[in-house]
Amino acid sequence: MSTDSISVDQLRDRFRAQLARAATEADLKALHDEFLSRKSGAVTGLMKTLGTLPPDGRREFGQLVNTLKTEIETALDEKRAALESTRRPAGAVDVTLPGRKLPMGRVHPLMRVRREVEDIFAHMGYEILEGPEVEDDFHNFEALNMPPDHPARDMQDTLYLDAPIVGGTWGAHRGTIPEAQVRAATLLRTHTSAMQIRYMKTFPPPVRIIVPGRVYRRDDLDATHSPMFQQVEGLVVGEGITLGDLKGTLEAMTRALFGDVRIRLRPSFFPYTEPSAEVDFSCYACGGRGCSLCKHTGWIELLGSGMVHPAVFEAVGYDPEKYTGFAFGVGIERMTMLKYGVSEVRLLYENDVRFLEQFPI
Amino acid sequence: MKVLLSWLRDFVDVTASPEEIAKTMSVRGFAVEGCEYLGGDLSAEAQGAKADAVIDFEVTGNRPDCMCVIGMAREVATAYDLPMRRLVAKGKDRDEETGSSLRLASLKAVEKADIDVVIENPDLCPRYAGAVADVTVGPSPAWMQARLKAAGVRPISNIVDVTNYVLLEMGQPMHAFDFTKLAAAQIRVRTAKPGESIKTLDGQVRELSPDMLVIADAERPVAIAGVMGGADSEVAEETTVIVLESAYFNPLSVRRTSRKLALKTEASIRFERGADSRLPVTAMERACALLDAIGAGRARGTVVDRYPARIEPRTLRLRRAKIAGLLGVPVPDADVKRILESLGFTLRPWTSPDDPESWEVTVPTRRVDVSREVDLIEEVARHYGFDRLPSTFPPLTAAPPPLDPRIGRARHLRSVMTAAGFSEAMTFGFVAATAAAPFAGEGELVPIANPLSENFAVLRPSALPGLIDAVAHNRRREQRDVRLFEIGARFSGGRGERRSLACAWTGTAVSEHWGGGTRDVDFFDMKGVVERVSEALRLDVRTEAHREGWLVPGRSASVMTDGVRIGVLGQLAPAIAEAHGLPVQDAVYVAEIDLDDAEAAAPKEEARVEPLPRYPSVTRDISILVDETLTADAVRATVRSAATSTLVQIREFDRYQGKGVPDRKISLSLRLTFRASDRTLTDAEVQSAMDNIVASLKDRHGAIQR
Repeated sequence: MSTDSISVDQLRDRFRAQLARAATEADLKALHDEFLSRKSGAVTGLMKTLGTLPPDGRREFGQLVNTLKTEIETALDEKRAALESTRRPAGAVDVTLPGRKLPMGRVHPLMRVRREVEDIFAHMGYEILEGPEVEDDFHNFEALNMPPDHPARDMQDTLYLDAPIVGGTWGAHRGTIPEAQVRAATLLRTHTSAMQIRYMKTFPPPVRIIVPGRVYRRDDLDATHSPMFQQVEGLVVGEGITLGDLKGTLEAMTRALFGDVRIRLRPSFFPYTEPSAEVDFSCYACGGRGCSLCKHTGWIELLGSGMVHPAVFEAVGYDPEKYTGFAFGVGIERMTMLKYGVSEVRLLYENDVRFLEQFPI
Repeated sequence: MKVLLSWLRDFVDVTASPEEIAKTMSVRGFAVEGCEYLGGDLSAEAQGAKADAVIDFEVTGNRPDCMCVIGMAREVATAYDLPMRRLVAKGKDRDEETGSSLRLASLKAVEKADIDVVIENPDLCPRYAGAVADVTVGPSPAWMQARLKAAGVRPISNIVDVTNYVLLEMGQPMHAFDFTKLAAAQIRVRTAKPGESIKTLDGQVRELSPDMLVIADAERPVAIAGVMGGADSEVAEETTVIVLESAYFNPLSVRRTSRKLALKTEASIRFERGADSRLPVTAMERACALLDAIGAGRARGTVVDRYPARIEPRTLRLRRAKIAGLLGVPVPDADVKRILESLGFTLRPWTSPDDPESWEVTVPTRRVDVSREVDLIEEVARHYGFDRLPSTFPPLTAAPPPLDPRIGRARHLRSVMTAAGFSEAMTFGFVAATAAAPFAGEGELVPIANPLSENFAVLRPSALPGLIDAVAHNRRREQRDVRLFEIGARFSGGRGERRSLACAWTGTAVSEHWGGGTRDVDFFDMKGVVERVSEALRLDVRTEAHREGWLVPGRSASVMTDGVRIGVLGQLAPAIAEAHGLPVQDAVYVAEIDLDDAEAAAPKEEARVEPLPRYPSVTRDISILVDETLTADAVRATVRSAATSTLVQIREFDRYQGKGVPDRKISLSLRLTFRASDRTLTDAEVQSAMDNIVASLKDRHGAIQR
């Protein structure tokens, strides 16, 4: 008895050793044949010796052999399944190869930032509209408290047209507007403030608008200047609008764009606002302690603003005794450069795809 | 405006450090462009409050009164709540300890002195003061030279230095003439006569026009009023008697003359912004005191002060309620008074009994920028501190109107174009005339009168020249595959400012991939873009062969909708590509759609959905042989006219020319889809429709069914 039971154990050991070495389906087949083949399998062989045993030992031995048989079958099945799972299925591909690139262009960074600004103000209930790029002297200068020969005109070196042309239109979404088209444009607008005048001449207060668009100055293109740039003009007019409202509004805009920053207003001069203020925000790079980005002042200049000058209200027929308002003009280039770390304004107008494609889709 | 701090301290005892002063003043309306410490190797810290420095203040154009030491001193005095020291007749020549010299000479106003002054144009010269002094020309003392140099002015001689010193200190431009060189000891302030000219101090001979104000002697102009003196009457080494000029000229007149002559001087800048009409005689007294103090000469004690057009100080009403109303925070009365009085305004309670809440404010004549109540409020706010303003929000009192549809449209097109693989470009609104010319009709170009350079000479008639430049820029930087678009204005003499969408595509249409399939862009890729854009604009467009000088003939088309041309599409002519610096062998496809025309043609109503078909469709393929010149559009038109309404779609699925097809013929294969909305079509119905179509194609185009 004992010799036979030993041979069952030996057979199990032999199988396990061989199973460990089996690496292919063929190895498993051979193993199956060696141990379980109906004709020549070792386990089958053991089973055949059953008849030679005395009747009282048969039952116990039979159970031992059957257990071994089941064990071997299970082990072979498991190993087969394991081998199968590592095998390359038919039609398999190298999933690590690059995919076919779906073409996708980029929105220009200036337009990304412009859109951000538009959205910020849209959420605050502002109307967003565009105006013509060629303008006349009245809307670009005179009505903005810059009569002919006003020294402030020098601040904005203007590009003039040889001869007047018909300008663009505006305000199609507001129904029929009597002066929706510039009749005789003589210059390239130096700021989108020209639309302040067109708008106020057409619509009564309250006013709550921003006007994004391209503006032009007689500047050469270099690292910090461009003869064309993008501006967003904001204008709010109503009863009881204050300089504090301007501060709160610009604070909201600046925070939405640059995170947790503070702003400060500095007195300045623009002919069309009084009081006028330059607006700085605390340097986000150093938190206001002073670094190279903010030229060690802790502040970064952002925009010009102020309370609408009563002379401007008079030019458009608003009662300056009744209404007050604020206006601001912010350069999109500057915000874009600050936001994305663009070192030169020139880069924004070269349209180098290697530059454009650095902006996320 | 460079201000030497020790000079400023002559007028106000400010003990703060230069850096602190710079910081304070920069939030009071005077941005600081630089702060340079003086005093050798002593560090700023070591020098402490006594440190001397030159602070470069940016003085805004509305504040000519601050373009001098006293003007800035007054601002500093207000900011620090300190008293101002005044120039006085009994002052010391020069305090050895503090270096200060605050003396004014006493001059007696007379009708006619050694010099006769006549103002012919009181509107252009409201005030002119002249005084005569006997002098010995030589260098000025070191302290005066040092102060001038610190302010950025080159010392010349004691006489000129004194006039410059007064200019820098008080803001009053002055001029010295050599008395002996003035004909008939006369000063005539008049406009120039036709044909007159003058050689100015810079040695240039300048032609004068009759709208220019000059200072003349009995015979000829000796200075351009408020701009520059003449060389012939210049003070020289041998000069022994001078006439000092201290005047107030009309700002506009000086500005026009200065612009016309393209001659900007320290004097003209101050006069054109507005000098102080009250100042000329005081400045004269100061200059005479200084001449005396530095041993340069002695005034004869009289001054001729012609003041035919008196300028009275303005009075304004300042309402307490308006201060809080504009700033959003009430400012205590004491602060209002303190600030305004320190700046030289005088306040009295408003006399009208109906308004006890107001002040009557008299504005000093030097404050040319203060003409309304808001200007006074700004003064208060400036020195009260913008940092004390609250942060509030304007109330929303009306429903915001919808978004400008042009902005919405541009956003939409931006997403359509980027999804088509095009990146957005931003090019200038002006281009070189040569680059623009091919894109504009005869006389349509809009030239700029004062362009920066030839490259920016005309407004762009199309966004394409700029876009092609952008493609070339990329091509030079190893970028072979470039797709760019731009949305923006373009300009023409006839149609004015209009908006367009322009795009350019070069390189591959399908980019290189290990799986193959790469190919270069062709006409139909670009047409696909145009079709996509048209869909986005909700337009049905057709293309028609069209010739355009800047496109390759046979590969250019008009984009039409309802018989209106809204755009152009095609392959860029090699000559144009080359002119923009692109390699000639590169195929560049371009298109431009007029967005204003497109908008006019687009349906105004919202799109509405149709019910989905309930019955199956039937497709039939047909291949025909036709002339190669027959357009797909003509074939479609024939098919449509021959078919009943059950034909719902025509698709060209093959076009073949070559083996098995006769010369000058093409084999065109169409897939036709039939469907009825109310029943399943029978074979017989479809067959009958097909028979009609085949017959019609044969009839009209001699098409042979294959």
